[in-house]
Amino acid sequence: MRIFGVEGRKETSPWVLFADSLADKTITIGGALVIAAVMGMTIYLFYEVLPLFGGGKVLSTHEYNAPLKSEDVVDLTIDEHDTLAAAVSKIGEVYIWHTKTGAPLESLSFDFGGKELTAIGKSIDNDHLAFGFSDGTVRLGSIEFINEITTPEHAPKELKELDARDSSGQGMIFSKIPGKGLRKVYAEIKLATEIKVSETDSPIVALDYRLVDFGDRPKSYLAVADASGAAHFLTTETKTNMLTRSRTTQVNKMVLPSPKESVHFKFAVIDDTGANIMFADRTGRVFRYDVHDENKPELAETLKVTPSGRELTVFGTLLGARSIVVGDSGGDLTIYFLLKREETNSTDGITLVPTREFQPQPSGVTGFSPSQNGKTFATLDANGAICLRHGISQKTLIELGGRNEKVNAGIIALSPRLDGLLAVGREGKACFWRLSILHPEVSWKTLFGNVWYEGYPGPSYTWQSTGATDAFEPKLSLVPLIFGTLKATFYSLLFAGPLALLAAIYTSEFLSNHVRGKIKPVMEVMASLPSVVLGFVAALVLAPVVESWIAAVLLAFIVMPLCLVISAYFWQLLPVRTSLKLEGLPKLILMGVSVSCGVTGAYFLGPVFEKLFFNGDLKSWLSGNQGSSVPFLFLLTLPGVAVFLTYLNSRTIGPAFNSRVKTFRAPYGAILDFGRWLILASVAVALSYVVSMLLALFGVNPRGSIVGTYIQRNTLVVGFAMGFAVIPIIYTLAEDALNAVPDQLRSASLGCGATPWQTAIWIVLPTAISGVFSAIMIGMGRAVGETMIVVMATGNTPVIDLNIFSGLRALSANIAVELPEAPKDGTLYRTLFLTGLVLFAMTFVINTLAELVRQRFRKRALKL
Amino acid sequence: MKNETDQISVENVKRRKNCDFKARGEPFVWILGGTLVIGLIMITGFVALILYNGLLTFYPNRIEVLKLSNGSTVAGELVRSEIYKPEPDRIDSLPELAQKELEANNGYLRRYLYKTGNFDLYNEDYKWVSAYEIDKVLEPRDIVYVERMEWGPFIGRVKALNLNGVLIKGPDPTSEQLEKAQAEGKSRRQRIQNIEHGQISTVNHYLEKDRLALKKIELQDGANSNAYSVAANKFKASENKLEIEYRELSNEAEALRQIDSKYTITMSDVENREKVMKLSDIVRLYPANRLSFGSKLSVYFSRWLEFLTQEPREANTEGGVLPAIFGTFCMTVLMALIVAPFGVVAALYLREYAKQGKLVSLIRVCVNNLAGVPSIVYGVFGLGFFAYIVGGSIDQIFFPERFPNPTFGTGGLLWASLTLALLTVPVVVVATEEALAAVPQSMREGSLACGASKWQTIRRIVLPRAMPGIMTGLILAMARGAGEVAPLMLVGVVKMAPELPIDQFPPYIHLERSFMHLGFHIFDLAFQSRNSEAAIPMVYVTTLLLITLVFVMNVVSIIVRNRLKRKFFTGHF
Repeated sequence: MRIFGVEGRKETSPWVLFADSLADKTITIGGALVIAAVMGMTIYLFYEVLPLFGGGKVLSTHEYNAPLKSEDVVDLTIDEHDTLAAAVSKIGEVYIWHTKTGAPLESLSFDFGGKELTAIGKSIDNDHLAFGFSDGTVRLGSIEFINEITTPEHAPKELKELDARDSSGQGMIFSKIPGKGLRKVYAEIKLATEIKVSETDSPIVALDYRLVDFGDRPKSYLAVADASGAAHFLTTETKTNMLTRSRTTQVNKMVLPSPKESVHFKFAVIDDTGANIMFADRTGRVFRYDVHDENKPELAETLKVTPSGRELTVFGTLLGARSIVVGDSGGDLTIYFLLKREETNSTDGITLVPTREFQPQPSGVTGFSPSQNGKTFATLDANGAICLRHGISQKTLIELGGRNEKVNAGIIALSPRLDGLLAVGREGKACFWRLSILHPEVSWKTLFGNVWYEGYPGPSYTWQSTGATDAFEPKLSLVPLIFGTLKATFYSLLFAGPLALLAAIYTSEFLSNHVRGKIKPVMEVMASLPSVVLGFVAALVLAPVVESWIAAVLLAFIVMPLCLVISAYFWQLLPVRTSLKLEGLPKLILMGVSVSCGVTGAYFLGPVFEKLFFNGDLKSWLSGNQGSSVPFLFLLTLPGVAVFLTYLNSRTIGPAFNSRVKTFRAPYGAILDFGRWLILASVAVALSYVVSMLLALFGVNPRGSIVGTYIQRNTLVVGFAMGFAVIPIIYTLAEDALNAVPDQLRSASLGCGATPWQTAIWIVLPTAISGVFSAIMIGMGRAVGETMIVVMATGNTPVIDLNIFSGLRALSANIAVELPEAPKDGTLYRTLFLTGLVLFAMTFVINTLAELVRQRFRKRALKL
Repeated sequence: MKNETDQISVENVKRRKNCDFKARGEPFVWILGGTLVIGLIMITGFVALILYNGLLTFYPNRIEVLKLSNGSTVAGELVRSEIYKPEPDRIDSLPELAQKELEANNGYLRRYLYKTGNFDLYNEDYKWVSAYEIDKVLEPRDIVYVERMEWGPFIGRVKALNLNGVLIKGPDPTSEQLEKAQAEGKSRRQRIQNIEHGQISTVNHYLEKDRLALKKIELQDGANSNAYSVAANKFKASENKLEIEYRELSNEAEALRQIDSKYTITMSDVENREKVMKLSDIVRLYPANRLSFGSKLSVYFSRWLEFLTQEPREANTEGGVLPAIFGTFCMTVLMALIVAPFGVVAALYLREYAKQGKLVSLIRVCVNNLAGVPSIVYGVFGLGFFAYIVGGSIDQIFFPERFPNPTFGTGGLLWASLTLALLTVPVVVVATEEALAAVPQSMREGSLACGASKWQTIRRIVLPRAMPGIMTGLILAMARGAGEVAPLMLVGVVKMAPELPIDQFPPYIHLERSFMHLGFHIFDLAFQSRNSEAAIPMVYVTTLLLITLVFVMNVVSIIVRNRLKRKFFTGHF
């Protein structure tokens, strides 16, 4: 084909086709992948968070015949790798078997010397036991599982394989461990000489045993009660002689006063301090002794913890001995704390308070086994059903057993690492469950609800993720963090929102294009300030300045607008021709002068203001109750009263006055107008003073709620610093929205005789309102997620406190502070991911709303 | 006649308009304008604060010697003064002079903060002096200001020089002799440093590399295999060789140190407490009260040079920020390299390839929203996904010999760049999309009508027109990335990185290494330094540097944007 002498090829070159299809595919796949990857972030966050809410899982079940029936067992323990189980029988025999297969190992035995065992006490680590006998003596003993790492060369030749991991030989179990080594596990028992406890030689009926110091000079506590109702508190201390290496144990016995009525104790408990000893009988009466003063122990309190008609069946402590678990024959389970209370019947002001209740067991609780790893515990009921529960989250993690199971459990033991549970049945069966319990301490309630923690006077929302000891309860409430974020956002928007909006209106409606083109980039530059810089200036420059000039800073919020308003009335006095000439940049400069007058005024009047309103010292006024709250209430009510009066004025005499003013010549009218304002202002002052007096009479006191004790790095400073981050965003977007209102609307309004002010407020702003609203939303989104400013300029204290002068801890700051130290895949790690997800959700919702509003605005604006 | 009535009516209207003050709303307008002014004051004030403090930090101040009323003497640079309220219960115990001052100033007292230096003598390097305590202020000409490698600055007088046994009493601080001795000391210091940090660390590097290689063979083939024993023998040999080299080098360094310790300077503070220090420990020495303007400037610029080209000293509070500049630069460039192709491809897909419908506009809303997701959330993602999951897997597959030390399985340059790339992808996508949308449809149609394929149209027609917009987005993304700190705290920034991410050892670019960053440097200095007063000047200078960097990027992008707008203006919100 020839067109104008050019020879056209009919076919496209294969290279072009190839390049085209290649680009087509690459871009489609690549683009979709990038978008998918970005979206995948949310999915990943969920993936990390979800395990938090799973309870526990049973990984495998191992059933076999036990060497003895549960009724013969007085104590059951497992070693920390779930290799060996040991059961002590009533006559002191110790049966040892492989936990997963039941393969028996050589039995050991305690030599009780033919005495009848009547009570047993057990330390929380399961190793140490105290035996009480019918002749009123007590012997301490231990079953220890020894772990040693060896190599296959050192292992005996003939090993009997038990399962994939373990084999037995020479009365020990050899377990394969990662690498090439072998772990050798065997049990060792010890029994100390007897201690005479009961004066009347009555049988020992209740025992609790607790080790408090380890190492060179181990110390222990023993609470012992005998059948005659006599109670004893024993402390033992073992010293090692440096020269001879011989160990001597010193026992100190304290006889506690007997209760008036006769009782048959069944349980004994020693609390965490060792200052309170509790004994309980079958009917649920608890007798608490205060042994603070070792010379004068006293019966501090008698209390019934079970409803009448029910028998007390479980009375023990969780790890740390601050939570006391009470279970009864009706299946109810409750945790009690020892707390100081105003109204008690006790002699020392402390009483047992029920704090946490658990889902009841279907039949009476008969057994209880606390974990050595956190606050998880297992309970057993009369039907043989086993429940694993967590003390803080009150979650039932796993339910096992029950009547239909073959085991019919009679005694249970939780493994030290919380990864297994062993039950010995009434008919001589045994069962071992391998468990996986990852995050028992987290539930919706602990994250968002009111939880009563150990040592707290009542339920609270608390964030405190790490503590000094193992017995520490992690407090993972997100409420104070969310509150902190909202507080920082609220106060910063309170400052930045109006400022940015009003400035945007002025820029868009009252400035010429030329001036606007200069000013807008300056404000936009503020948006690019790195937030770490803002945080640094806020914390190290602003905070000290605000602290020393706090009165002046507060005053500036009042004086600056006043200055501007007064300047405006003076401006009105100017002849119209002059004022029109000065419109634009000169007027803006004059406004600047007025603002600086306000700042200077506030600086100089600050001390006077402090003296007049706050007794001469604002900070001590804030923290204490010195001075009256009337002046501050006056400041709070003034804006409201002023608005109310203005409204009242416009409804009543305002219009009439206005039309009178219109008839005057310019300067006189302006003076009249000024006079009117002055009168209104003084009426407002007087009225709000009266209102605040009334409020104070009714006992309204702002201290303790919105204001309170002053802390250097506080919300006011954060709000101000965050203003730097938020103002440019709101300003730019709002200005864009206002600017997008078509000019014909403005022209029409001005043409009808409206002033620029009327046009701006009644025409432009309503048209652009959704755009303006979305600007504020986007600013809010930024404030919610801002990290460095809140990390640096707040004290990072997670408190729920409205006080503008106190610190806070925001979600974002919390992540920045705690995540670097959180162990991977731990509860804190996942909780922090949840925090991230909450933050993500908050900003996503805010931004989506803003976007929807913006799109609506766009459509409307296009129609105009 | 007609004319006259017209005039009257106009006048009437005018007058009524003038007096309708409610309609003019002047007080409200002033409040509107006032807020704008406050905003402008805030930003200019902020920039002025940073500029003032940042630019003046390095300027050598005069040193004042104060004779106090209690007989002691204090020498130092005046940092600032303030008025304060003494605690109520202390007022009565104040001397008479202070009481008078209190009365005259409404219960306030004035005090001055002096940088006294001499931390090794005083255990503090800043001191507050109340105005009433000061008897006399002197500015002696022989006082010198000494910057040292350790212990912060020293302020005092030069007493004597000991040049390898040659004693020189009371040398003039500006004498050539001193200058020469100081320069020699500096070169000795550099030589020692060169051996210790350069050559010895090279030896260590190779030693560690060989050890890891051996361990890798052990893990692959087992300790009993042939390959292992061969490698082990080889390792023994090279280890021996390197050991010898190491010993030689450390002997050499030790010998140099021996010599170095014989060149000392004896200084005394204003209360005549003497202090002997090595000449090589002195970074800079100048007689503060005798400097001409020119020499002040030279001190000023030499400090800037040190700041920009040296490594930090004294827990980051002195010295330079070169590693931080380098880290920021590497991270930002790497981030731009990652974000540019991905962002542009995603935008091209959304705008040119995907079918425009509900789904695509939904995706667009989501991408827009992602730009508003807090940066710390990206940090959380980066740590969990990139560092722990991806990095952990890489470690398991490629670096089993380094177990349990993580290589990629912890924060590092690559993960930080990837995290920030993810953070800035929405910015680039949005900017690129807008730029693509701004290319008139008619141009595409024209190109297609001429027989060009879709890709040819995009490559030759659309992308060149959209390039300024894409560049704007990219620069904005880089500016945001350079100023972002919160996510970096989680994915690889450290306060003191032992090694730079780029060095002379293969593979030259070490993406797994943690790095320093200007923003984090500011955070660390302001919050984690031993002495925040001493750190503040450095914070200001670092801030100035960071802000300048970010501002320059922003200004460039604004200029590019404005040029683009002028070129292809189409109305859009």
